[in-house]
Amino acid sequence: MQALLSFDKAPPFAAPLRFFLTAPLFVLMTGVLLMAVGPDMFASRWSPGLLAATHLITVGFMLQVMLGALIQILPVVAGANLRHPLAVARWLHGGLSTGALLLAAGFLFGQPALLGGAALILGASIAGFLAVSGQALYGVPSTSPTIRGLKFALFGLTGAVALGIVLALALARGWALPLPALTDLHAAWALGGWGGILLAAMAYVVVPMFQLTPGYPARPSWWLPRVMLALVLAWTLAVLLEWTLAIRLVQGLTALAGIAFAVLTLRLQRQRRRARADATYRYWQLGLYSAIFGLFLPLTATAWPPLAEWPGFSLAVGILLLVGGFISFIVGMLYKIVPFLAWLHLQNACGGQAPNMNRLLPELAMQRQMKAHAVAVALLLAAVVWPEWLLRPAGAALALAGGWLFYNLWGAVGRYRRHLAQKVSA
Amino acid sequence: MTHPKSQHVVDARYMEPPEPFVQTMEMLDTLKPGEKMLLLLFREPHPLYKVLRQNGYTYESELVPDGTFEILIWR
Repeated sequence: MQALLSFDKAPPFAAPLRFFLTAPLFVLMTGVLLMAVGPDMFASRWSPGLLAATHLITVGFMLQVMLGALIQILPVVAGANLRHPLAVARWLHGGLSTGALLLAAGFLFGQPALLGGAALILGASIAGFLAVSGQALYGVPSTSPTIRGLKFALFGLTGAVALGIVLALALARGWALPLPALTDLHAAWALGGWGGILLAAMAYVVVPMFQLTPGYPARPSWWLPRVMLALVLAWTLAVLLEWTLAIRLVQGLTALAGIAFAVLTLRLQRQRRRARADATYRYWQLGLYSAIFGLFLPLTATAWPPLAEWPGFSLAVGILLLVGGFISFIVGMLYKIVPFLAWLHLQNACGGQAPNMNRLLPELAMQRQMKAHAVAVALLLAAVVWPEWLLRPAGAALALAGGWLFYNLWGAVGRYRRHLAQKVSA
Repeated sequence: MTHPKSQHVVDARYMEPPEPFVQTMEMLDTLKPGEKMLLLLFREPHPLYKVLRQNGYTYESELVPDGTFEILIWR
């Protein structure tokens, strides 16, 4: 019986771990960048520092964890086995980390060569990942909304990266393209077509599993990935046809689809069977409320366009969706996945004598780190209105939250290694 | 707990991993030849499927409207 618990072909711990340990350093770097550049960063959504910070978070943190987690999770949620997961993890991790740094440096210093290099490295790394994950998923039937969501999300990632490469090259080489409309479209593919669909596909599995809630009802779960993808495709068509009214309408509908998913998740959370509010639950609450407010702004702007002309509009949406939303969801999941994987690998190595997960990563450490993150979100939002006073403190809080996350995860890995060493020497 | 599909049910919908896996394995050990068991879960357990295949079991999974996967297992 015990032997059956060892998932013989589960990827080695080192495969996803390198992504999970590097990603928090990009949040730390973002905080340091905010402190270094200061209030000028929030002068407009096109300021070089802000573009750099945005991509440190989206590529350096979010994409890093998302792809690292997929290497681990594709066999578990889809029965799709990646060939040579450790080798894939090595080159993908190197490509994403280098690419994210080059991209941020390219924006910050306005260096076309760095932007071109970043486009090349990120494009090649992600294309490589799409090829190996596509191969793993090829022939896997969509027997659950999660598998369908994963397939659609990978298509969304393709669109987001293709648009990102076009934009980076357009900036580097001065191509005459409608940059604002294409940037919004890039963000729609990245956060809706990729991040949003992936988040939903993962939530269908991890929210009931980690938070002991009821399951997501089947019908909306099947429909959400379809609706989201159809909306970003419609958005693309509207941009190509330069049909402003349609762009606005699709933007509103996309926001509405996101809000519906967030409200449904909040409802499931209210019916959870675990009385204790742990760090994952709290992180998801923060993420869901942030996302609802972040999506409410573009929804309102659809009905009342002058709102979008408020200089802080894009900043507030970006902070609420990326820092308040996605980072919160991702850290909430990391705080379950890292101790669980450490426990599982120890269980296999020690023949069922692994320590309790809470001893590998104590709840108190996670809760305290989460408070630093919540303060960072609040300060960043306030800094949209008072950048002179609050942008540097917000940067300090974000750097603290990122550094603390690294410290917590590193500590868990250290305890895992010590238990493993004890077992080997015993 | 019984269910129209089987008398032998593991309702693992509100259990944390690896409990659903462990309880399913324990119930499989108690089944008599020809009997089937039903596992209820809010996800598809692909690692379990793999172990079942390796051990000569057959399974059939159905997603019902409330989000439950009903997984019927027999040898």
